[in-house]
Amino acid sequence: MKYFFAALLLSLCISPAIAEQGLTVKQAWIREAPPGAAMMAAYLTIDNTSARDQALLSVSSPRFAHITLHRSLNVDGVARMRSLERIALPAHSSVTLEPGGYHLMMSMPDKRLASGERVPLVLHLADHSEIRVTAQVRKKP
Amino acid sequence: MTDHNTAVWLARIIPLLLITALLPACGPPPPPSLQQATLLPTAKTIADFNLINDKGEPFHLDNLKGRWTFAFFGYTHCPDVCPTSLAMLARVMKRLAQRNDLDRLPRGLFVSVDPERDTPAKLARYVAYFDPAFSAVTGDPEQLKLLTRQLGILFLKSPGDSSQDYLIDHSAAIVLFDPQGKFHALFNVPHEADKIASDFVLIKNYYEENG
Ligand SMILES: [Cu+2]
Repeated sequence: MKYFFAALLLSLCISPAIAEQGLTVKQAWIREAPPGAAMMAAYLTIDNTSARDQALLSVSSPRFAHITLHRSLNVDGVARMRSLERIALPAHSSVTLEPGGYHLMMSMPDKRLASGERVPLVLHLADHSEIRVTAQVRKKP
Repeated sequence: MTDHNTAVWLARIIPLLLITALLPACGPPPPPSLQQATLLPTAKTIADFNLINDKGEPFHLDNLKGRWTFAFFGYTHCPDVCPTSLAMLARVMKRLAQRNDLDRLPRGLFVSVDPERDTPAKLARYVAYFDPAFSAVTGDPEQLKLLTRQLGILFLKSPGDSSQDYLIDHSAAIVLFDPQGKFHALFNVPHEADKIASDFVLIKNYYEENG
């Protein structure tokens, strides 16, 4: 029984977060901040295997005071970042937040986060459900 | 056609063919074909500017001379595009350092277009994180514009989530200056370190052979 719980705990740590509503979050990571950088970016992939359209409205974390949904765009060679009200998660599709595209803009961590640290995130969805994931701080994907 | 006419015709055409065949040898060879770089038809002379480096010292056009320079324009509050580009530029330097035919590596220069928040001391620590050999400059907005205007690089503040969190739209291109401090080539996005490194070697070799 002891081993069963240990195994269960371990599998919770390493498997992607699956919410009841058919959403799977995988490959969540936060780019390690260079010294002096006040902002960090986080990336992840969300699979919506359900037949229902969904949307990501916001993300929170006990380690960051402020997280916004952002998108980097390249308009005629000019890099722009814009905040978003929501990120659509259409039925039967996968949305990837990745460098140079959608990302989570994370400001004011409680203290400097080093590579390897694991940060809990809560994704808040349009249907008021939540998905809890752990993102690892890394230098690169 | 008579034999006489054929002879006349040949006498006319042969010199023409010879000239056409020999012509390319007279001018400089065509520039190398490049994967990512856009080479300026003629390297562009840049008017002097007055910036400040990451040690707090003045940085002028003369400081660009004597060495090739890769310059990238951005700001440290940019958590997505700028770290991606600087990490990519650090990979370019690693590729170049692995070669044994380069006597000196190009300079990697980060130009902060956010002097309000990016102090020289902050910039020094920021760029060293990507490559200890990288350096940074910034300066008054008007001096920054004096430089960027000549390079076709744009930057513009845009409101963020709060007045402290303003964002800056900025060109994502990497500029290559030659050892005379002239604007020599431009690398547009998407950037690939391997291609930029091999383009650089071709550009440098062509420059050294043909002035
Ligand atoms: Cu952002």
